[in-house]
Amino acid sequence: MKRKRRTEILIQGDVQLAQKLAESIVDTYECREIIAPQYGLTMIKMRETAKNSLFYIGEVLITEAKVEINNRIGIGIVVGMKDKLAQHLAIIDAAYKAELPETITWETYLIEAEKQIIKERAKKQAELFETKVNFETMEV
Amino acid sequence: MGYVPVKGGTQAIDASIQRIKFERLKGQEIIDVETIMSTMRGMVDQVMSESSLYSPYLAALAIKQAEGSMEEAVFLMRAHRSTLPRPYYSQTVEPEKMFVERRISASFKDIPGGQLLGATYDYTHRLLDFTLEEENLEDNLQWLQNYQDQLNQIEALDEVSYFPKVVDYLREEGLFETYKADNTPPIDVTKRSLQFPTTRSERLQVLTRGQTGAVTSLGYASLRGYGQVHPTVGEVRVGFVPIYVQHPNEMEHSDEDEFYIGEIKVTEVESFVPTNVKNENNEYELEFEIGYGICYGQNETKAIAMSILDQCLEHPESDFPTHDEEFVLLHIDSVESTGFISHLKLPHYVTFQSKLDSIRQVKKGVQTVES
Repeated sequence: MKRKRRTEILIQGDVQLAQKLAESIVDTYECREIIAPQYGLTMIKMRETAKNSLFYIGEVLITEAKVEINNRIGIGIVVGMKDKLAQHLAIIDAAYKAELPETITWETYLIEAEKQIIKERAKKQAELFETKVNFETMEV
Repeated sequence: MGYVPVKGGTQAIDASIQRIKFERLKGQEIIDVETIMSTMRGMVDQVMSESSLYSPYLAALAIKQAEGSMEEAVFLMRAHRSTLPRPYYSQTVEPEKMFVERRISASFKDIPGGQLLGATYDYTHRLLDFTLEEENLEDNLQWLQNYQDQLNQIEALDEVSYFPKVVDYLREEGLFETYKADNTPPIDVTKRSLQFPTTRSERLQVLTRGQTGAVTSLGYASLRGYGQVHPTVGEVRVGFVPIYVQHPNEMEHSDEDEFYIGEIKVTEVESFVPTNVKNENNEYELEFEIGYGICYGQNETKAIAMSILDQCLEHPESDFPTHDEEFVLLHIDSVESTGFISHLKLPHYVTFQSKLDSIRQVKKGVQTVES
């Protein structure tokens, strides 16, 4: 599974999944910490919809970690102060970069978690739709 | 006239710092950072927006440390931000990908996708609720449980919907000008100080991090006659937008290999502003332009005011002060304006003495002439 999709699942879903996957790698392979979880900033570039141009809205606090497995470096980046999650994401990223066989079996868990995320979002949206206005034109 | 170093205030300063701590602690009440995050949403959002740093936790901590002083909290956040590295720039965030929690239009009753009120104070009675004095956790948990039971009755949708922009429909009808995607790299005002005339990217960045009160006041001034912009709000939306970053070292870039890092909450506004433009026959005709406003968190007044000022600054030919980019952009930053105003209370003994000396000399001269 490509990085974009799997990071969406691992960050939007239950953080225990990232922990579970990362721990299965740490138990089997040597994981060298390149950068311990540290805080930094990401500048956010946005497109405005009046003239369709680009600008910077501001910065967001992130936690970043880097881990090496089999000479391949994985990066974990997440919005907020989330040391453990950043570390787990880095281990998982390194596992994919090193093409470890475990990553193939993770596919099932990730797809299952993705279904759950979509379901929860759709439910949340349905709840928000309760505030949708139903205009009725009145006779005067 | 040079500055003269003086000493003698160290003990007084130490005592003053103890005094400010005493003021925060003397009530013998402690407010947790988490409590501020959970219950002071408006303040947290405002501090994040004015400091240009999205972190609800740090904003809540700053509010606690600053005893609720917004200018002090924003200053703390800006100072903290300057200590952190900035290893990443995001990929372009497209607002159409927002997970919308609120979306209204003052221009059209029937907008595709509908008007979603979400959470708003707009329809509440502005009367003090004295029952909050007796609020307790047990009752709140019961209310939450009842509300959750109510929500559980709602059937989930098949999939998540993303709302198109109201203006897109008007563009399709040819009522608004369509602009091709302009991918000119934006200028970052935190890396290069403002130079006039500014670019659009600089103006939008300064406006979005402007002090809420200052942006609102200048937007209001424009409406009242000190400007030529009176818009109708085309769309206000509040929701979460996803943030992606590119891998810092991989040579081959594919969208599918980007990192998703999380989402941030923003308020976004498009205001429709009627303007008179000359057509091919050299006659004036009415057209609509769009003013754009956006800010961190839910702060609709600021975003609407920003959309007014954006439109004002797109028309610098007008003589009104709200159309003057130096006037607007150099005076709305919280740290710059509060910093400069508050520095006036710091010792100016030498400068003031020199002014006094000048006045004494002038008065002495006048008395000599009179006698």
